[in-house]
Amino acid sequence: MDKAGKVLVVDDFSTMRKVIRNLLKQLGYENIVEAEDGVAALEVLRSQKIDFVISDWNMPNMSGLELLKQVRADGSLSKTPFLMVTAETLKDNVVEAVKAGVDNYIVKPFTADVLSEKIGQIEKKRG
Amino acid sequence: MQRERIEALIDDLAAGFLMLDGDAIDIPAAGKLLNAMEELITEAEKRDMKPMAGAAGELKSLLEDIVLERIGPAEGTERFTRGVSDMQAMVRGDAVAEDVDEAANRDGVQMDVSEVSATSPTNEETVAEEDGTGIEDGEQDFEIQDESLMRDFITESLEYIGEIEINILNLEQNPDDKECINAVFRPFHSIKGVSSFLDLTEIRDIAHELETLLDRARNSEISVDSQIIDIVLEGADTLKVMIGSLNEVLEGERSRPLYPDLTELREKMAGVDSGEEDGYEKESVKKLGKILIDDGVISEDILEETLQKKSGEKRRIGETLIGEGKATPKHVLSALRKQSKQVMETSTVRVDVKKLDDFVDMIGELVITQTMIKQNLVRLDSADRKLMSDLAQLSSITSELQRTSTSLRMVPIRQTFQRMARLVRDLAKDAGKDVIVAMEGEETEIDRNMVEEIYNPLVHMVRNAVDHGLEKGEERTSKGKPERGTVKLSAYHKGGSIVIEISDDGRGLNVEGIFRKAVERGLVSETDDMGEQDIFKLIFMPGFSTAEKVTDVSGRGVGMDVVKQAVEKLRGKIEMRSAKGEGSTFAAFFPLTMAIIDGMMVRVGNEKYIIPATAIRRLIRPTREHYTNVAGKGEMLDVMGELLPLLRLYDIFSVEPLYRDPWDALVVVVDAGGRSKCILVDEVLEKGEVVIKSLGGNFGGLKGISGGAILGDGNVGLILDPEGLFELEETTAV
Repeated sequence: MDKAGKVLVVDDFSTMRKVIRNLLKQLGYENIVEAEDGVAALEVLRSQKIDFVISDWNMPNMSGLELLKQVRADGSLSKTPFLMVTAETLKDNVVEAVKAGVDNYIVKPFTADVLSEKIGQIEKKRG
Repeated sequence: MQRERIEALIDDLAAGFLMLDGDAIDIPAAGKLLNAMEELITEAEKRDMKPMAGAAGELKSLLEDIVLERIGPAEGTERFTRGVSDMQAMVRGDAVAEDVDEAANRDGVQMDVSEVSATSPTNEETVAEEDGTGIEDGEQDFEIQDESLMRDFITESLEYIGEIEINILNLEQNPDDKECINAVFRPFHSIKGVSSFLDLTEIRDIAHELETLLDRARNSEISVDSQIIDIVLEGADTLKVMIGSLNEVLEGERSRPLYPDLTELREKMAGVDSGEEDGYEKESVKKLGKILIDDGVISEDILEETLQKKSGEKRRIGETLIGEGKATPKHVLSALRKQSKQVMETSTVRVDVKKLDDFVDMIGELVITQTMIKQNLVRLDSADRKLMSDLAQLSSITSELQRTSTSLRMVPIRQTFQRMARLVRDLAKDAGKDVIVAMEGEETEIDRNMVEEIYNPLVHMVRNAVDHGLEKGEERTSKGKPERGTVKLSAYHKGGSIVIEISDDGRGLNVEGIFRKAVERGLVSETDDMGEQDIFKLIFMPGFSTAEKVTDVSGRGVGMDVVKQAVEKLRGKIEMRSAKGEGSTFAAFFPLTMAIIDGMMVRVGNEKYIIPATAIRRLIRPTREHYTNVAGKGEMLDVMGELLPLLRLYDIFSVEPLYRDPWDALVVVVDAGGRSKCILVDEVLEKGEVVIKSLGGNFGGLKGISGGAILGDGNVGLILDPEGLFELEETTAV
């Protein structure tokens, strides 16, 4: 992804958003927006052009999985690359996200390198 | 769907899988494959092709393992390819059904998958390894990597832990509700996530362990009982202490965080693991051996020795000791009894609230019946001293019983306060104010049936304190006050009431402003000479505040009349004090329980009524001079210079009274709904507590009557609802 691309970071824990934001900055991404749950994320997605979504799984109001499903079902958003953040303990749930069409998933905690690798993989598959 | 469809699906699978390349799995392609596989399984099951469904199921879990990186891509691809060609063979009829299992076995699909789950590290093992490194990390020098991130983490985590404490109340009431469990689970999960990034291994581990516990509850592996709730609360407290200590490091108060001893908490969590009910009790219950030592039956050495011998045997320690002749059965039995007594003391029982209510109700009946017996005896003029003293004894037992039964329904007000604290934070954030919440007397208990009832009036008062009571930061500093305002919640018992106080250190009530506004609204006249306290009371008057946004002039007043009415509806009252520039305090007095009412019994003709004591202002015996019949306004009585409407109970309830003229009768001055009226009665009988009985479906909605009570003489008295009564009178008078 172009480093100028706009990344949406979704997590209900603001410190976590900051952590991911910092990692993205290390990778050279500067254009970052945040949302605190799936509902807020959808609003962002529908109001501005987002090039990449990094979303937590477990959030109030609308979970990451539900957000993913909504994104995939929305004609204009359906192609948006989507990276799901999950915890080791809840990794089994990832299968649900995979079936719902997630591009990749990443297990907390992760380093900038792993994040970069996952973003790279997604880009490669999408050509 | 025909056989060809299945064939095509399998061919798609084969083709699709080729897209997975060697080193990294193509997640979106795997997702499509998984969906296709599920469709295949459904189709196969529909057509009763069990071997096919089974093979597809195996293949699906293999693919899941590949996706979850439990199997390397190379190995996975190889096994998947084999599985697919087996299925292709199956569907083309090359293999008959009986051969399928054999084929699968030969190619190792089934076998391998089960091996995978046996050999690949499970989550717990992975975590256990992390635990090992975690301890080592803890011994290294503590270093804060990103201070600003750490500060955010501390603030946000503490906020989230506060949320746990609030949500746990819901969870306790709905232990099976997955969303309630999730609401408690999520904060731990989030804290774990961030702490893992910040290398806070101890915090991460304990959050992880609590999360795991709740995850098991989510998956219904364990049920949420008081034990789990206690552990979660203790865990939340522990995390709070740990994070607090982290803050001390940030503030430079110490070089590395001081964490509490986690052994006990871990043991409790491990106790849940055993899945046995008594796993938890063991923590607090003395071991049998220890009791025997305390009783002087055996020595520690003997216990140690016996325990060593016993290891490997299945016999219990008591049996072994008896068998060895080290203790007599009598001693062991007595120790066992002591032990079980401890269990009784430490255990709790969950009881359906309905049963509890019925129980409390029946005890109310018991008290009444006993009073009836007593009165009958008095009437019979019984001189039997023995009987009277027995009855006195009975009466002290029943009142103790009544006290105990009422206490069963009592819960600490803490949860309510925490909800309020949360509300204060939210409101303060919206209003752009910095507010500290202080609490006092959170352990004060209140009838759980009241918890929901008092919520709304409290919300109103808290909202007022934050929105109108407290000034903004700059205004505060300019007045020499601390920049952060304080809202204090306190609770205590006073007389038969629980008092809940909400105070702020804000600007206080604006006496002139309130008076001016009351004049504008036509509530008082410009020339009225009113004391400060009387002016404060104006804010509780209906019509004082309107729907429009309250201005800074009034300082307060968003629907204080509504608050007052809500409090009165609960048979409570509200008081307030305020000092300009120093703040205001609102104190709401609620009865301890909704089941008993303190009232005054009055008689009209042959009927007896109970007027709630909280509504009564005074009793008067008017003279002829006090009475006026104002044209258009009806009958009025002059009560200490104030003209108040006269309300004749006998007219409303159609009974034949003894007296019709006010100067013959007695008058009870009653306040309700912001107005006062004089209720005419024949006689005031007594003042005391009565147990409220619902009138039941047919009479439940009667206006002017809130319930019934069985009186000492066995007759029924109606409990009056003054506000309803006023409305009834006003509508019928027209």
